[in-house]
Amino acid sequence: MRRFAHALLLALCVPAFGEQKTPPPPSPPRPIPWPAVTEKKLDNGLTVVMAPLASVPKITTELTFLAGRGTEYRTHPGVAQLAGRVLTEGTNGRTSRQLKEELRAIGGSMSVSVDDDATTITASALSEFSPQLFDLLGDVARHPAYAKSEVALARSNFASEIEEERSTPDFVAEEQLDKAIFGRHPYAFVVPEPTEIEKVTPEQLKAFAGARYVPNNAHLIIVGDFDPAAVYDQAQKAFGSWERRPLAAEATSLPTRRDKRQIYFVDRPSSVQSTIAIGALAMPRQSPDYMSLRTAHMIYGGAFYSRLTLNIREAKGYTYSPYSQVNLRRRSGSFSANAAVRNEVTGPTILEMLYELDRMRVAPVTKEELDAAKTYSIGGLSLELESQAGMASRINSIYTYDLARDFLQMFQTRLDALTPDDIQKAAAKYFDTYRGAIVVVGDYGQVKDQIAPFGDVVVVKH
Amino acid sequence: MRLRMLLFCAAVSAVAIGKPITVPVVYYRLPNGLKVVISESHAAPTVTVAVYYGVGFRVEPKGRTGFAHLFEHMMFQGSANVKKMEHAKIVESNGGNLNGSTRLDFTNYYETLPSDRVETALWLESDRMRSLDVSEENLKNQKNVVSEEVRVNVLNQPYALFEWLDIWQNANQNWFNAHNFYGDLRDIEAAKLDEVRQFFKTYYAPNNAALAIAGDVNPDAVRAMVEKYFGDIPLQSVPERPDVSEPQQTKEIRLKQTDKLASVPALALGYHLPDQNSADYAPMVLLDLILQGDESSRFYQRLVKEKAISIDWSGGINFELGNEFDYDGPMLLVSRTTYKPGHSGDEILKEVDAIVLQVQQQGVTKKELTDAKVRFRSNFYDQLESTMGKAHLLATFALFHDDPAQINKVLDTIDAVTLDQLQSVARKYLVPENRTAIDRVPEKKEAK
Repeated sequence: MRRFAHALLLALCVPAFGEQKTPPPPSPPRPIPWPAVTEKKLDNGLTVVMAPLASVPKITTELTFLAGRGTEYRTHPGVAQLAGRVLTEGTNGRTSRQLKEELRAIGGSMSVSVDDDATTITASALSEFSPQLFDLLGDVARHPAYAKSEVALARSNFASEIEEERSTPDFVAEEQLDKAIFGRHPYAFVVPEPTEIEKVTPEQLKAFAGARYVPNNAHLIIVGDFDPAAVYDQAQKAFGSWERRPLAAEATSLPTRRDKRQIYFVDRPSSVQSTIAIGALAMPRQSPDYMSLRTAHMIYGGAFYSRLTLNIREAKGYTYSPYSQVNLRRRSGSFSANAAVRNEVTGPTILEMLYELDRMRVAPVTKEELDAAKTYSIGGLSLELESQAGMASRINSIYTYDLARDFLQMFQTRLDALTPDDIQKAAAKYFDTYRGAIVVVGDYGQVKDQIAPFGDVVVVKH
Repeated sequence: MRLRMLLFCAAVSAVAIGKPITVPVVYYRLPNGLKVVISESHAAPTVTVAVYYGVGFRVEPKGRTGFAHLFEHMMFQGSANVKKMEHAKIVESNGGNLNGSTRLDFTNYYETLPSDRVETALWLESDRMRSLDVSEENLKNQKNVVSEEVRVNVLNQPYALFEWLDIWQNANQNWFNAHNFYGDLRDIEAAKLDEVRQFFKTYYAPNNAALAIAGDVNPDAVRAMVEKYFGDIPLQSVPERPDVSEPQQTKEIRLKQTDKLASVPALALGYHLPDQNSADYAPMVLLDLILQGDESSRFYQRLVKEKAISIDWSGGINFELGNEFDYDGPMLLVSRTTYKPGHSGDEILKEVDAIVLQVQQQGVTKKELTDAKVRFRSNFYDQLESTMGKAHLLATFALFHDDPAQINKVLDTIDAVTLDQLQSVARKYLVPENRTAIDRVPEKKEAK
C-alpha cells in the first residue's frame, strides 16, 4: 500500500504532459527478501538445503558431489567427466530410455555438469511430481549402471564433442588460458585428448562413482514451490539409506604464479577475427578479497557500462561484446579479460585492454563508478534469485565453496564497506598481466606482427 | 489469482495438482495507439519493462540486409535527454540489467530492475520512443560493432548458424523470408544516417508498439506512470505491411555445403509449418515435442542412441529465434544435428523419413501424447517464471494478436489436441516435398 501511495503522489505532482528531461528520482530501495533457507543433515552426512520459491509450480534440485573434472586426470584423463555423463544413461533398475521417458512424464529434466570442483546433477519437474523426481534422482545418484554399451556410446560422443568444441575459438582460448595460468595444477585440465577417452573402462567409472558419489561428499539443494515437510520426507526416502564411505583426502596442491608474461598464439587459419583472452592467477573463492575483486571486475568489464566496453566497443568499434570474468574455485582462481576483434585491430585492442587493466591498478576508481558497481551488484543478486534455477545455483555456491551461511544476508554490508582504495588494491594484486598470460586464437600469418610488441610468443598448433 | 494467493500464503501454500496458473493481465491502449500490458506478481522484488516494436528483420528494406538489427543498436546511441551509453549507465547503476534484440517480426528493448525502479525504466523507454538522437559518428561506430557481431557469431564460427541463416534463405522464395537476416557486411557498411532516421519515424511509433510491465508492481500506479511518460508521444502513419506470404513448396530442396572451420559434419532441415491460427498448429507443437522435444523423443532415441549416427539432436519451431508464439508470418520447424564422420546426411534423412512414416501410418501412443502435454506445460512454466519471460509472451501476444490474455488460454488449446490430429498433421506437413535440408561437411584439410 505504501508503494502505491508513493507512486500515485509522483504522478500527481508532475504535470502529465511534455517530456521530462531528467530521470525520475528513485524510490527508496527496498530490502531484498532473502530466501528462507533450511539446512538439515541426514545421518549419512548428506546436507539437505531447502528454500521455497513459488515463482511457478515447479521444483528444482541440485545434487552436488565434490569431485571436479581434474580428479584423477593424470592417471585416467576424462574419467570424472565420463562418470558424470553416463549417470543419466541408466541405473541398475532402469534403462536410459526408461529414465528419459519417466522424466518426460513428470515434465522433468536432468542433466549433469562437471566443473573444476564438482559434479552436479541438476533435476527439475512439475511440483505435483516431486515424489517421482526424488525417486529418479536417488536412483541415478546411487545405482548408476555404467552399462558397457552406454559407456562406449558416451566415449565416442564425448570424443566427437571435443573435436567440435575445439573448432570454436572461444573454447580454444579458454582451454589455452587455463593451461597457461594453472600450469601443472588439476585446474589446468579442461578436457582429455579424444584418443585418451577410449581407454576409460566401465569398471573405472564404477569405481570412481563408488568412491566419489557418496552422501558424505555431497549436498542437495531444493528450491521451488513445495511443501517443505513433504519434500524433506521424499528426500529422506530417496537418500536416507545411502551409506557413507570413507573419503580420499582432497588434493591441496596450489598453482604457482608465472614469473613473467607469456603470449600463446593458437594458429587457426581462415579466422576472420582474433579471439583474445588476457588472464592471471587470482585466489580461492573463500578469500577475503572476493568482494573487492568482484567489484573491480564489474567496473573493468563485468557490466555493460564498464570501462572495457566504453573504450573498445563504444569509442573505437573494435569489437561486439568484450567482457571480463572472475572464476574463483575451491583452491584457486583466475581473472580474465576477453574480446573478439577483426584481424587488423588485434594489436590496438590488446594495447587498450592492457591499458585499462593498468589504469585500474595505478589510479583509484571514482566514487560514482564504485557506487554504480555496488548497486549493480546488489540488483544483480536479486535478479538471480528471481528464478528457481538461479536461486538453487546461488545457494549451491555457498556449500560448494564452503562460504559463511549468511553470505547472502551479509552481501550488501560487505559491498557497502568497499572503498576506492580496496578496488585499486584488488586490481593491483589480481589484474597483474605482467605475471599472467595473453592468449590469441586467430590467423597467425595475418596478425603476428601486431602481437610481437607485447612479449614472447609461443605458437600453438590448432 | 493463484499467484496472489501464493504471495500471501507462501509459507503454507499447498501444491495445486496439475492446476494451471493464471497470469494476471491488465490490457489497454493509449489514445496514441500504444498497447500496454501490466502483469502483477510478487514472487520476487523485481520488474521487467519491455517495449516491443512491430518491425523485425523479415520486413527490413531490400538492399539493406541486417538493417533492422543495425537499427536496434542505434537505439542505444542516445535520445533527447539520454546521451550515448547513458541508458545502460542509468539502468545498471539502479541495479538492473538491459538488452535489446531483433527477431523476425519484432525488435525489443527491455530492462529488469529492482521493482522500486520501475519509473526510471519507463522514463528511459519513453525518451527513446519519443526522440532518437543519432549522429554520423555513432552510426559509423555501430556499423563496426555490428560487423564484429556478425563475425563473432557467424563468420568466425564453424557452421555459421546455417540451421537458421541458410535454412531460411533456401527454404523460402519470398525475399522477406529468404534474405540474410544477420546481414551482409557490405549492406551494413552501406547504411546511411537518413535511412536510420526514416526507419525510426516509420516503425518506431507508439501505434506500432507494445509496452509490457511484469513483476512486483501495482497496476494502478504503473498505469499513471505510463500515461505520464508515453501519453503524449505522437502517433505516426505506419505503412501497410508487405506481403510476406510464402508459396507452397512443391519439391524437396537438398544442399551440400563445405565448412572451413568445422571439424565434424552437421545436418539441418526445415519443414514449412501451418499458420499459427490454424487448427493444425497446436498438434504440430506437440508433434515437435514427441519427435525432438527431449532425450526421450523419437528422433533422439533413434539417431543418437539406437543408430549412433548423430552426436546430438536439437530443434523446434522458430528454432534459435524465439518460441512457438512470438512471430507473425511463415514459419519453419527446424532440426539440427552434428553427426559422426563416416556417416552422411542422407542416412539421417532416411531415418527421419522412417520415423515420420511410422507416425503417419500408426500415429503416436496415447502415453506419448499425454506426456507431451505435460512436457509442454513444464516448458511453458519455465517461460512464465521470470518477469522477462512473462513480459515477452504478453508483449508478443499483444503485438500480434491484440490479446495478451491468450497467455492464459495456451494450455487449454494444447490440452485439447487429439491423437488423430497428430497423425493428420504428420501426414500433411512432414513430407519431403515440404522440406529443405542442408548437409554441411568440413572442408578437406591437408593432414596436420
